[in-house]
Amino acid sequence: MSPKKPLVFNIISECKTSMARVGIMELPHRAVDTPVFMPVGTQGTLKGLLPEQLENLGLQIMLANTYHLGTKPGAKILKKAGGLHKFMNWKGALLTDSGGFQMVSLLKLAEITEEGVKFQSLNEQKAEVMLTPEHSIEIQNAIGADIIMQLDDVVATTVPDKDRIEESVHRTSRWLDRCLKAHQRPDDQNIFSIVQGTLFNDLRTQSIHDLIKRNVNGYAIGGLSGGESKDDFWKMVILSTSILPKNKPRYLMGVGFAIDLVVCSALGVDMFDCVFPTRTARFGCALTMTGQLQLKKAKYKFDFNPIDKDCTCVICKTYTRAYLHGIAARTPVACSLLSEHNIAFQLRLMKCIRDSIKENKFPQFVAEFMLGVYPDKDYPTWIRDSLAAVNISLL
Amino acid sequence: MKFTVQNVSKLRPRIGTLSNFGERKNGTLETPMLLLHSQGGQIPHITHEVFKLISKDAHILQIPLTSMHNFQETLEQYNGTITDFIGSKESLSCITFHDPSNITRQGHHAKNKVPLWTKNGIVYYDAPMYCKVLESYKPDMYFFISDGDTNKGSQQKRIQKAVDTTIHFYKDCLEGHKKSAILKNSFAMASIAGGYCLKSREKCMDVMLKDSEIGGYVIDGLHNNGPEIEFIPFDEVKSVAEFVMSKIPENKLMCVQGCWNPVNIVKFIQLGVDLFDTSYCRIVTERSSALTFSVDLQGELEEYEINLREHKYADDFQPIHNTCSCFTCKNYSRGYIHHLLTVQELLGPILIMIHNIHHYLNFFDTIRQCIKENTLNELEFILIKQFKNYEDSRKKNTAEISTFSEG
Repeated sequence: MSPKKPLVFNIISECKTSMARVGIMELPHRAVDTPVFMPVGTQGTLKGLLPEQLENLGLQIMLANTYHLGTKPGAKILKKAGGLHKFMNWKGALLTDSGGFQMVSLLKLAEITEEGVKFQSLNEQKAEVMLTPEHSIEIQNAIGADIIMQLDDVVATTVPDKDRIEESVHRTSRWLDRCLKAHQRPDDQNIFSIVQGTLFNDLRTQSIHDLIKRNVNGYAIGGLSGGESKDDFWKMVILSTSILPKNKPRYLMGVGFAIDLVVCSALGVDMFDCVFPTRTARFGCALTMTGQLQLKKAKYKFDFNPIDKDCTCVICKTYTRAYLHGIAARTPVACSLLSEHNIAFQLRLMKCIRDSIKENKFPQFVAEFMLGVYPDKDYPTWIRDSLAAVNISLL
Repeated sequence: MKFTVQNVSKLRPRIGTLSNFGERKNGTLETPMLLLHSQGGQIPHITHEVFKLISKDAHILQIPLTSMHNFQETLEQYNGTITDFIGSKESLSCITFHDPSNITRQGHHAKNKVPLWTKNGIVYYDAPMYCKVLESYKPDMYFFISDGDTNKGSQQKRIQKAVDTTIHFYKDCLEGHKKSAILKNSFAMASIAGGYCLKSREKCMDVMLKDSEIGGYVIDGLHNNGPEIEFIPFDEVKSVAEFVMSKIPENKLMCVQGCWNPVNIVKFIQLGVDLFDTSYCRIVTERSSALTFSVDLQGELEEYEINLREHKYADDFQPIHNTCSCFTCKNYSRGYIHHLLTVQELLGPILIMIHNIHHYLNFFDTIRQCIKENTLNELEFILIKQFKNYEDSRKKNTAEISTFSEG
């Protein structure tokens, strides 16, 4: 008998109007319902919440960052601990990024060569360090996430130099080969490849065709959410989802605003991640189906309603806006409380998306959702256009 | 709420019960016990939801007014009680003026008023204003307002003033308590001021001990709160505590507040004190330490606390304490907590605080057990040994650091 595959993806329902679909992605640690939003637990913890609380919320998968974990506690300790799942007591599924994006975004001095990403270490010696595809996979093997990402050659979407972008497309494919070769745990960890090509149709198409030739269990749509216009953004998403194989999960990196999740689910994306819901909680912002509440604002001082009367999370059942107004962004506990609500919100939104697809009501759900956010019907053009492209019209 | 002393035959140390909590809450609490210290309505670092992982028993939340001041106008318009508002319906509440875990700044006195230090500066309180605020809180228990701004070093003049102001407050608070339909049903604790001067303490008590409305007393004015209280030698406070305890009618609940170390807690209990608070758990957690001292009379002595920031815990995958049954120790390792502290993640202090509160509640369970079995002296003896080892190594470390910086 052949060993069990580390990823089995079954599409259980498809929207008859748009490209949206509902799937179940079976991973070594847990089955995950898609479309799924994955909150980010950068350093092996999700802002002030216990894994037990996350399980109770129904969270199935979260993300951790390879660059941070590789720096502290380091691959050696994670290996000794038996992997990140054991270290942080998380029984659900995990996904780690390659570390490359952090290098380029956090470290001013990063330099990309064919060998890898060269950067100045943040430790006291300030030594020059090279993150190669092999090294990234080695750390990710030590972390032990269910899904791991190839190291990719990241170019900002605002870079106009087409030669450089073309180079990044080819290099990303070459690095994928090196990652696959270096991968020590193909039976219990899945490498996803990453589509590059920024905003060029031809390059993105080429990138996808190159990647499809390699054997991977899922694809990430990379190189977006980097400051490009929303009109460019959605076109690149639909281009990617139109060409990518239908039977494998598609992961849109760095996307997590409610509106983007609804639109991109309609465009056929299965997985999302973003630091936004937890980061914004720290500044006293609570998410609802109709937009965001800045709880520090004076208007909430005498507001004895919950954040969202339709939300069933512990926070909405326990606290008033007036109370949260008084502690928001002031105490560490307030951060835990709002993070919990915001994650509950993201999970609820994704469940609404999945349920409406299954019930064959997804176009209505999208239209009603957008009307809730834009009660005056002043919908941004990109929302109208992107949804029209998948046959969904707004109210 | 009603306080009853259980072992009447032997009053010090003693077991008591708090009961009759009104319609909404059931149960009985046994003293000596801990108030759960909170800030802004939450135990530091721990949400009410997480606290349920530590204990499902009935408890009293200590809610310092200073941490709730910004809610004043909101609460005036709010219909429920303070525990409803802060999201902990099942808790009982005890309102205190100051926060025992933070140093209360000295000075800034005004005639018959006392300064409350809030995030937005000083607010002066007198008794009528305090009673009005309390009516909007609808607490189960509260402390009378007092001038407790005295410590070991206070001059006679300051002590004198503190006593005069406190007596003035007492009379006003008592009147406010009797007049108010809400406060009448709340358990009133009067604060006894007077620093380290026995005569002044006596003057205070002469006014305060007669009224049946008062359910208990706080020995106030021993210190100005904050982490330093941990290292006050008991000999300093002994004569005042003994003097006050000798005068108090035996059916009154007796309270001492602050971050006292466990040895001094037991010494206060030996004198008959019933009520303390968990602010000590906060200050230990803030220094990244987990309490590990043993309260097992038959077992081995243990290290008093461990500081999880120390590098040696980086690859230590044992729980904080092998025999501890707390939520943290059952699920998380020293190494993981060390990592969380190193990268300054919120979950680090959360996991330590869960352990420390569990450890401290367990310590009080043992205290009550020892009183019942007449073995409190043995417990005191092993605590003294463990705390002394900790104090000695702390002194040694401080000495090493100063030698190093001189060199």
